Amino acid sequence: MADALADLVHLAAARGATYADARSVERDHESVGMRDGEVEAVTRTADRGVAFRVIANGAWGFAATDRTGEGPLRGLLDEAFRRAAASASTRTKPVTLAPVPPQRGEYRTTLARDPFGVPMNERIALLRAADAELRGPNAKTRRASVAAYRTRKRLVTSEGTDVSQEIVESGAGVAVTAAKGGARPAQRYDSRLTRQAGWEFIEELDLVGRAARYRQDAEAMLDAPLATARPTTLVFAPEFLALLVHESCGHPTEADRVLEYEVAFAGTTFMWPKDRGTLRYGSEHVSMTADATVPGGMGTFGWDDDGVPAMRTKLVDKGTFVGYLTSRETAGALGIPVAIGSARAEGWQHFPIVRMVNVSLDPGTTPYPELLAGVENGLLLDAPASYSLDDKRQNFHFSTQSARVIRSGALEGYVRGVAFQSLTPDFWGRCDGVADDWELHGFLSCAKGEPLQLMRVGHGAAHARFRDVPIEVRA
Amino acid sequence: MILRGADALLAPLRDALRDVPADEADIHVHRRRAAITRYSHSSIHQNALSDETQVRARAIVGKAVGIVQTNSLDPGDLRRALADAAELAKKSRPDDGWPGVAAPEPDPTVASASFDEATSRVDAAAQASAIAAVCAAVPPGMRAAGTSQIEVTEDAVANTRGVARYAPTTMAYLRALVLSDQYVGSGYAEDLSMRVDGLDPVGVAARAVEKCARDRDRTQLAPGDYAAVFEELAVAEILRIMSITGLSGQSVREGRSFMTGRIGERVTGERFTLLDDPTDGHTIAPPFDVEGTPKRKVVLVDRGVAKGPVYDRASAKAMGARSTGHAADPTRYAPGGHAGNLVMVGGEATREHLIGSVEHGVLITRFHYTNTPDPRAATMTGTTRDGTFLIEDGKITRALANVRYTMSALDLFAGIQLLGPQRLARDWWSSNGMGSIYCYVPPIAVSRATITGSSPL
Repeated sequence: MADALADLVHLAAARGATYADARSVERDHESVGMRDGEVEAVTRTADRGVAFRVIANGAWGFAATDRTGEGPLRGLLDEAFRRAAASASTRTKPVTLAPVPPQRGEYRTTLARDPFGVPMNERIALLRAADAELRGPNAKTRRASVAAYRTRKRLVTSEGTDVSQEIVESGAGVAVTAAKGGARPAQRYDSRLTRQAGWEFIEELDLVGRAARYRQDAEAMLDAPLATARPTTLVFAPEFLALLVHESCGHPTEADRVLEYEVAFAGTTFMWPKDRGTLRYGSEHVSMTADATVPGGMGTFGWDDDGVPAMRTKLVDKGTFVGYLTSRETAGALGIPVAIGSARAEGWQHFPIVRMVNVSLDPGTTPYPELLAGVENGLLLDAPASYSLDDKRQNFHFSTQSARVIRSGALEGYVRGVAFQSLTPDFWGRCDGVADDWELHGFLSCAKGEPLQLMRVGHGAAHARFRDVPIEVRA
Repeated sequence: MILRGADALLAPLRDALRDVPADEADIHVHRRRAAITRYSHSSIHQNALSDETQVRARAIVGKAVGIVQTNSLDPGDLRRALADAAELAKKSRPDDGWPGVAAPEPDPTVASASFDEATSRVDAAAQASAIAAVCAAVPPGMRAAGTSQIEVTEDAVANTRGVARYAPTTMAYLRALVLSDQYVGSGYAEDLSMRVDGLDPVGVAARAVEKCARDRDRTQLAPGDYAAVFEELAVAEILRIMSITGLSGQSVREGRSFMTGRIGERVTGERFTLLDDPTDGHTIAPPFDVEGTPKRKVVLVDRGVAKGPVYDRASAKAMGARSTGHAADPTRYAPGGHAGNLVMVGGEATREHLIGSVEHGVLITRFHYTNTPDPRAATMTGTTRDGTFLIEDGKITRALANVRYTMSALDLFAGIQLLGPQRLARDWWSSNGMGSIYCYVPPIAVSRATITGSSPL
């Protein structure tokens, strides 16, 4: 395959491409799903193919196939040039790539135990143990799952880059729906239990203890009184904030939104180049970092799909917007250096576009109990349920799976029906403290692009406190 | 694209199934050639073609199910996939709810032919020409962005009970978002068809330009209940929420659906009738599902009365019903049936009549990133975009900043006053492949839509 990739790139250069890259991707996945104590299915997936990009006459052309014989690969070359020619017929400015030195090397996930090697009986036994803890008098449906993912890829470019990567990820999930009488069902489920790691991550998760906690939350929410609609102090658990960071900071700092590449579908941003260094995004407690080097992060790699090595950069510094997620193309178009390589493609079928890596809320220095002690009257929101955002990532609405009352710094019972809508800078401007209990979460399926690409991304966060957030309540 | 055809796709499946080491087995093949050209600032910035084959092999040993997915149609790889699936099944546990693979049966109706030869031959130059036509129709002071998509698929299913089915489909899509260079304003339009000659680039551009020209000097709308006109794309978004929360047998069974315990009861207004009808000639669908069951027309809500959901084989068995042919790829859809070819009965009201019927209200072109804070009530929340207008005395009078809408679909449809003629549309999520729901859907005028907030100007 390495020779075939190099051949494609050399042939493209000979035909006049000013840039070309060829990328082979092999993806494997195994999962076991359990529903109500029964194994639903054991699934194994394999997916292999080759992607090929050229810049010819100043425009991109891209073609990809899962047929890797000589004929189909030659067909890729022809189709990519046809597409570049078609693109060039409308372009007024040529594509310019920000410079990056040629890269060579290999990257492999560090793991203690290969999740693909764990005996099926052991995986099923863990799910059965978790399922047993999900059982309860009102638990109507129970689900548990474990999964393993492996991606092997190689990128060869006409600029001399030749890099190989093997990325292994492990994930698990538990979910319970409780219902009683005519009451609205209560659901509690994990959102983000994935890590670039081996089976050791699954063992660290304490899936059984987590299942018991989720069942208890769901049962308690069934009997909980309705919350009262009012402005109040909200404390968010890291799992909830991970999604808030993703939606309200990660997406609006994607540079392709600035260039309106996503305007007709995913939307644009409210964080424009003229705002860098001046836009007040949040309070002084709010700093956010994009980092493709975080150990175990779902957005961690050796190189992105432009061949840019893993980097780290600030997006928000003490409340001020300072940086973007970029590809070589978008950095070139904006006239800025590549501060972080974020060009990523879900699979061989996909053109690399600007995606998040690991985008995190930086930890504070306050211990969580101290943060909680500063709340006279408020709510702790553990995990998001529904969420919806506008096309600029400015106007958002979130509801929660569970909400607990905080009174005089102590956690009390549950309330239900809590949701809130806000504007991004207003919301983050209300943050008056971030705890020091930073933890990493992983998302499997950030959706963006046409065709749709589901990307793995990582988000770290700690508990954080927000003052006077208006909440709405639905029965 | 050169189609592989029924014989080429089904022969290796039949061969692989002949000696399968399992009690039962089936294989579904989905080949997809997607040519997607995206443009912005009236210039193409992404031009991609991918040709992929997805194979899903299921082997069942003693009611335990093993699944292996690959993208190879090589006979040796298919046999290996089935053998691996059988091994996985042996390591698994029996599923008492397993319904068995589908038996052969004739089509209940004459299925629509969702394939157009000319569309399958569209090339990169033709897609660029369509985009150039859109951009040329946009006047100075405005710019265009959007997507041209041509998709050709082949589906084949075979199993150990003798099912062997094949169908190709085509889809052509063109969207245009027009933005002003001088003020904050945008307009949107799209065409969607099984045939490339169903796309009208100049017409799409004209509709988007007209919206953009009106969308200037926006004002904010106070939260509250308003009469409203929902255009087709906005209605499709509401129907999506109904589909994913409440139209599958599984959601009814698990108590998550608005239909749970209410089948046969009035759930919304009598002007609302909804079907899932993959056989309707206006929609796009192969005539069978991924299990090989013929797709059937299902009346979901009849003049406001809940009639029942769609089923795959497992949810049908669990509910004591018969599969309606709505099994879907489990890697993309929740299990239990997927209502993906919705047909909402329309009317004859023109756009002028719809707007003219509203004394004081809002016109909504489309939504962005919707979700459901209350699935059981089919409640949707989402912000509008690219054409939200104030209607006063039956006329559009002002452009509005995008608003947040939050309301139960059942409450919204209970207030339908007028319906216009249907057209084929997809919701925001489906338009780029996040699930796939085709809606043959009318624009509507309603007496009450709940607006819960406004974006900044």
